Amino acid sequence: MSLSLFLSKMGTNFNYVVAITLFTIGLYAVVAKNNLIKKFIGLNIMETSCFLLYISMGAVKGGRAPIWTEGMKKTTLFVNPIPQALILTGIVVAVSTTSLALSLMIKIYEHCGTLDAEKLKRMETE
Amino acid sequence: MKRALVFFSLLLCFGIMLIAVVNMPPMGDPKSMMMTGPPGRAPIPRYLSEGRQEAGAENIITDIILNYRGYDTNGEVTVIFTALMAVLAVLNRERKNVSYCDIETSPVKRSVVVYTIVRIMLPFILLFSLYVILFGEVGPGGGFQGGTIIAAAAIIFILIFGYSQGMERFPTTWRMNFEGIAPLTFIAMGIIGLFLGRNYLTFMFPGFSHASNLLLARSMLMIIEIGIGAGGAFIFTSIFFAMQREDKS
Amino acid sequence: MIWRLDTILLLFLVATSLIVVRSKDLLAASLIFGAYSLIMCIVWQQLSAPDIALTEAAVGAGVTTVLFIVTISKTTRKEEE
Repeated sequence: MSLSLFLSKMGTNFNYVVAITLFTIGLYAVVAKNNLIKKFIGLNIMETSCFLLYISMGAVKGGRAPIWTEGMKKTTLFVNPIPQALILTGIVVAVSTTSLALSLMIKIYEHCGTLDAEKLKRMETE
Repeated sequence: MKRALVFFSLLLCFGIMLIAVVNMPPMGDPKSMMMTGPPGRAPIPRYLSEGRQEAGAENIITDIILNYRGYDTNGEVTVIFTALMAVLAVLNRERKNVSYCDIETSPVKRSVVVYTIVRIMLPFILLFSLYVILFGEVGPGGGFQGGTIIAAAAIIFILIFGYSQGMERFPTTWRMNFEGIAPLTFIAMGIIGLFLGRNYLTFMFPGFSHASNLLLARSMLMIIEIGIGAGGAFIFTSIFFAMQREDKS
Repeated sequence: MIWRLDTILLLFLVATSLIVVRSKDLLAASLIFGAYSLIMCIVWQQLSAPDIALTEAAVGAGVTTVLFIVTISKTTRKEEE
């Protein structure tokens, strides 16, 4: 397709493009950084970028939040409620894995004295 | 060499995802809500219009996570409880008179401004968290959000007032008994449906009139929300205590 | 023109995440990560998702940032190269 069509589609789906950019930045942090805590921050960025992609798929132009208050009729336009319900569970799972991983890092530092992935790999093979 | 390889593969990944994302349907299209299905049973319009009468809450999202997709929330409270168990298996619990914390032995003086502001703001933060839990059915909020705000208030209290004050106000024995509230309340409310002859997690029963059915469904939802809120608060406070402690050797 | 606010917030997100990944001081990285969480919370509000905004604010700024700082206080503060 032509370049102008491509750019205009990128403009309409701007949220999606930002979500995959954040995913790539988080993936870079996981793959290329040596410190374990920095790797873990990258994993968290990847998780929040997935949430952004998913909830942007459920957004509707001119839609309201899905809560019935006074003065709303059956013809009011609402935002899609199902992605929000699923992402709520996702955020809880993300914070659970965060707490477990950070406590494991505290233990690793107590035992090995370093949090550097290269040094830990060398210690393991000695 | 390694850096060039990493850079090139990340660029490839980004390019593939970009092509996929550009070809998705445009964002914000109202047609995305009309999923196909038998008329009257297509999920999204049905949840939005019948949710109030079938599940009893005005916040459609609370409706969905506690009634229509209740199994997923059951799994979620189990996951957060399992995370606490795993953290306590890795780091032992703190023991009285042996554990201390760096804050009391720190040479940095405690700031008067922070101390005063925390003293003034803490009751209001706790009141706000109670509001968020109890009004989860009528406005935005819900059980888990309120529980996390209570845990954040408890963490601020421990950080500013010191570890010994924290151990006095939140003693381990008292916390230990309440950590399992969240899965227990959920399963208890779910089993009520089994005992009365219907499925697991039923909130409306055929023997009652519609108005009393709605009242029953709302009270059961409220009990589950309070359970999830209190459970979440205790779990996060215990995780913080377990990570923060140091033992005198 | 409310869509301009959306665009600026999303560009801020990308900028803060780049700073988080590139900084060598871990304490600064975790604090900027807290700011990233808060900007994400406002993006959720712009997409009409108030429940998610409350959850992200409470969890991101209240629990995750504090746990990161507790871990850094018990381990190294500088990323070794």
